[in-house]
Amino acid sequence: MSNFPDPIRDGLQRGWKVLGGAHGALPEKITCDVAIVGSGAGAGITAELLSRAGLNVVIVEEGPLKSSSDFRQRESEAYPALYQESGSRKTTDKAISILQGRCVGGSTTVNWTSSFRTPVPTLQHWQQHFGLDDFSRAALDPYFEQAERRLNVTPWLVPPNENNDLLRRGADKLGIPSAAIARNVKGCWSLGSCGMGCPTNAKQSMLVTTIPEALDKGATLLVETRAEQLVMSGGKAQALRCVAVQPNGAVQGGAHTTVVARHFVLAGGAINSPAVLLRSKAPDPHGRLGTRTFLHPVVMSAAVLEQKVEGWSGAPQTIYTDHFLETQPIDGPIGFKLEAPPLHPVILATTLPGHGQTHADLLAKFPRTHVLLALLRDGFHAQSQGGRVQLRGDGSAALDYPLTDFVMDGARRALLAMAELQFASGAQEVLPVHEMARPYTSWAQARAAIEQLPMKPLLTKVVSAHVMGGCGLAGTEALGVVRPDGVHWQVDNVSVHDGSIFPTSVGANPQLSIYGIVNRLAQGLAQRLTGAPAQMLA
Amino acid sequence: MQRRSLLKLGLVSGVALALAGGAAVLLRPGLDNGRLTAPARALFASLGRAILQGTLPTGPQDRAQAVQGMVERIDTLAQNLPPHVQAELSQLVGLLCTAPGRLGLAGLATDWPDATDAQVQAALDGMRFSSLAVRQQAYLALHEIVGGAYFSEESTWSVVGYPGPMAI
Repeated sequence: MSNFPDPIRDGLQRGWKVLGGAHGALPEKITCDVAIVGSGAGAGITAELLSRAGLNVVIVEEGPLKSSSDFRQRESEAYPALYQESGSRKTTDKAISILQGRCVGGSTTVNWTSSFRTPVPTLQHWQQHFGLDDFSRAALDPYFEQAERRLNVTPWLVPPNENNDLLRRGADKLGIPSAAIARNVKGCWSLGSCGMGCPTNAKQSMLVTTIPEALDKGATLLVETRAEQLVMSGGKAQALRCVAVQPNGAVQGGAHTTVVARHFVLAGGAINSPAVLLRSKAPDPHGRLGTRTFLHPVVMSAAVLEQKVEGWSGAPQTIYTDHFLETQPIDGPIGFKLEAPPLHPVILATTLPGHGQTHADLLAKFPRTHVLLALLRDGFHAQSQGGRVQLRGDGSAALDYPLTDFVMDGARRALLAMAELQFASGAQEVLPVHEMARPYTSWAQARAAIEQLPMKPLLTKVVSAHVMGGCGLAGTEALGVVRPDGVHWQVDNVSVHDGSIFPTSVGANPQLSIYGIVNRLAQGLAQRLTGAPAQMLA
Repeated sequence: MQRRSLLKLGLVSGVALALAGGAAVLLRPGLDNGRLTAPARALFASLGRAILQGTLPTGPQDRAQAVQGMVERIDTLAQNLPPHVQAELSQLVGLLCTAPGRLGLAGLATDWPDATDAQVQAALDGMRFSSLAVRQQAYLALHEIVGGAYFSEESTWSVVGYPGPMAI
């Protein structure tokens, strides 16, 4: 257990209304002004703003309430407790592994703190193709500023760790611009354990900011409770049906609870929010629900350096380059953003290909291993339609995301770009993370090999930590699921406030896009529900 | 588990069931209430020895103990999985623990406990580079489960030079 103050345990002692799991039995029925599904980026911002507006809020979270005292920087504890499907969530054909939070604070509890405002080209594309006239950067900037102030999003001035500095140095060598990533931290210890929950409460996740603020203002939090479906009648949502779940998500005769509210906000993330609407049989006259789900499919390149890299240590993801996004049209061949992720034993061993002595040899070089990742910017081209959320027979959500040749062409270019950059930064060998690749000892050798690799799903390692879309925003009914104010086009007492509203991928780590855009949506909602001018974030 | 739901599951498709003789697995799922069955434990012990060859301790006793620890952690890992993933894993493991399933899916003639590391590694590569998605999926699942479970334990970290998290 850490020796740090634990704001969650303190809050519980002060009498926060938290039920579910070990916190107390779920009541059969709860009545409130607004029910919010989820407790991550969009839910947290919404909960704080609505609570500050004097509305009675109930937050429904499927995962557990864990806090700094629980965060022991161990993958073995973090993945089962804090991630969807124990960190092993996958697309239907198993070709993409998805890291997504499932705990109070959602993915903000486990993300790597990278903070970017929504890029201008992305917003321009939304304005031009989805009728989102009021989504200019100028219109959104005040909302980003408020969110940044609230969550202490600031430039990270500490020198990057070696894993990130290699990205900077390699880019410099090639004449490619790189820059520092802003982070939402306060007094960060640079432990490198962001992905396992911040043990010092430095990360300004929803867990330690907006959710506590909402609970202090009287909100109720139901944990280990799954939102099953909205009860629809007369063209409106009347109630939200929920069920208690076991730590692994199994229902097993769990207690049911019904939340009756004036308004319902779905913010369970871009796989679960569309699934709630699908289970609710919400109207979908234009067949948009669950479609255009985007992942920023990620491919990786592992390099071995002469010197120590120790990618587990120091703030993760502090340097990036958008060179491969900015030097080509957004609606052309798929572009990519390069970043350097944190490295820990489980994630490394499961990511590096092969078995037996070959695998052992790769792992033995862990301290000198440097990894780059490329986030592919999906959703801007006719051949990049993303995936589709569907329901399994048991009602759980499944994401079918075909890795098309269009996407995999970008993956090949990304593997090439990363290998070239890694050799430029002094790598002795570079392994594109692909079942048929091996470590190459020169750029020429790597280039020749990567050009020949079959860029096929299940051979190319593809992962994702950014799920977006499925309940897209649009200025006209035929193009989306929700209106520009976040309200469902056909059901006017349901809003969606999470990454699922993005009409394409963001083209950058999405947390600040969710904070900023939901900040505007939630202020509008508070104003409509109370008739009073909206309060701002604390 | 209902036969109908078994056949709908994703990881091991109807093709593989046909390959392997679906009836056998219906009688012997790989998980029992989320826990590994005895044949499943033997399967993962064999896979662990092959996949982690070069990483495991070299002394026979230490090695056996390390493999045993990994099997226990896989048992825990399986219990933490949501029901639909447990069902898929149960089906995959159940299949691999039958002779037709082992042969059809993994291409391994010898039973898991008796196969040499080299034989298991050859079977793994057969799945890994197969043109059948279901065999590739099975390989990737086994690779992830074995590697993930093994390295989730602190005693395995020193061999890869990871000092563990910074004490605070």
